[in-house]
Amino acid sequence: MKFILIDKITAIEPAKTLTAIKSVSLAEEYLADHFPIFPVLPGVLLLEGLIESASWLVRQKNQFAQSMVLLENARNVRYKSFAAPGMQIQYTVNAKTIEDNTSSFTGVGVCGNEEIVAAQFTLRHFNLADENPKMAMTDGQIVENMKKRWKLLWTE
Amino acid sequence: MRWIWIDKFLEFESGKRAVALKNVTLAEEHLHDHFPGFPIMPECLMIEAMAQTAGILVGEARQFQEKVILAKIKNAVFYHYVQPGDTITLHAEIESISPEAASTIGQIKRGDTLIAQISLMFSHVDKNLAGKQFPQENFVFTDMFHSLLSGFMEQKAAGGKG
Amino acid sequence: MAMSRDEIYNQVKDVLVDALGLDDGDVREDATLMGDLGAESIDFLDIMFRLEKAFNIKVPREELFPAEAVMNNPEYVSGGKVTAKGLAELKSQMPHTDFSQFEKNPDVNKVVDLFTVGAIVNFVEGKLK
Repeated sequence: MKFILIDKITAIEPAKTLTAIKSVSLAEEYLADHFPIFPVLPGVLLLEGLIESASWLVRQKNQFAQSMVLLENARNVRYKSFAAPGMQIQYTVNAKTIEDNTSSFTGVGVCGNEEIVAAQFTLRHFNLADENPKMAMTDGQIVENMKKRWKLLWTE
Repeated sequence: MRWIWIDKFLEFESGKRAVALKNVTLAEEHLHDHFPGFPIMPECLMIEAMAQTAGILVGEARQFQEKVILAKIKNAVFYHYVQPGDTITLHAEIESISPEAASTIGQIKRGDTLIAQISLMFSHVDKNLAGKQFPQENFVFTDMFHSLLSGFMEQKAAGGKG
Repeated sequence: MAMSRDEIYNQVKDVLVDALGLDDGDVREDATLMGDLGAESIDFLDIMFRLEKAFNIKVPREELFPAEAVMNNPEYVSGGKVTAKGLAELKSQMPHTDFSQFEKNPDVNKVVDLFTVGAIVNFVEGKLK
């Protein structure tokens, strides 16, 4: 069971906007528990789709200079409808700012005309070596792995 | 991957507050994708752990009559990341509750270290149909959640240590 | 502790800014909650809880947003318009609201436009007396 909550990046305006899609399938194990007779993508994983989309805008803009890109603050994350197996969600994130160590975004997820989720959030980005120089190799490993994932998600 | 993000209850005051615990372990597959080379608990799953703690608290306050669903994350702030081997505690408190909804505030801690502060809004979907169709029975509070809570209650009754 | 209408307005503004993730400047007296400010049903409940906390008042949901009961009642709505009976019912339940515009064209879909920032301020003012 992989923890990647977008399937493909469909468009990028560097440092500004990114759209991605996520297909929801019964093959996703957690749907068996959420919920047993009413499988829907958990709300926090919708947020994760937005976070991942935004993270790629950061990594691209900063040229993968930071290994760690994490959620710092999420506000007013509103769940408006359900995402069920068979549906495809389109995420759009808009960057308000992207700096070296912090960025802020607004994002929405829609399925056709129906809005599923909307959020405002900030990310923080850093290298483990910032705190502990011995972690520089680990930073390198993470970045290499994320670059591979980038190739999977985005074809220019 | 099971969709249960808390391991046990440590404290439970019906209608008021609850404390749950989660162990973070390398056995959790998803950690290996987040991130490859440096596994940490995804922030969104920390939000879910809080949502489950607070959701059970809210559901129990109304005898699990309604389906309690996370409707809004008012605010979630994270101060530190959490790694395998860590144990986090989720401290949730009901701020407001009505027949239609509930609002909760909470903190996630690792020992004494504050990891996150999270405030949530839950909707009692039977009262807020909003034109969507749902199955009749309470699919939200599955056996998994009931056994977490009853496990805690039994231990308390037996005078055991949480 | 008697609050002036301005003081109430400022606190209501803060509540709406927090609950809806707005900028200060987005909130105006005549802004509608749903149309202008983007509020949805869960936000109405969030706003209600926050108003209770901010002003130390109790807000039964039917009092703040009674329109739902009216909108679903066939005696009060006919042909997509609110009937005279429905209008009277709305007015009695929402004494803090200005119906003069709505009366000109009582389209049931426009009921939500009655929920303005000003209406909330009036409501809170009424509760605090």
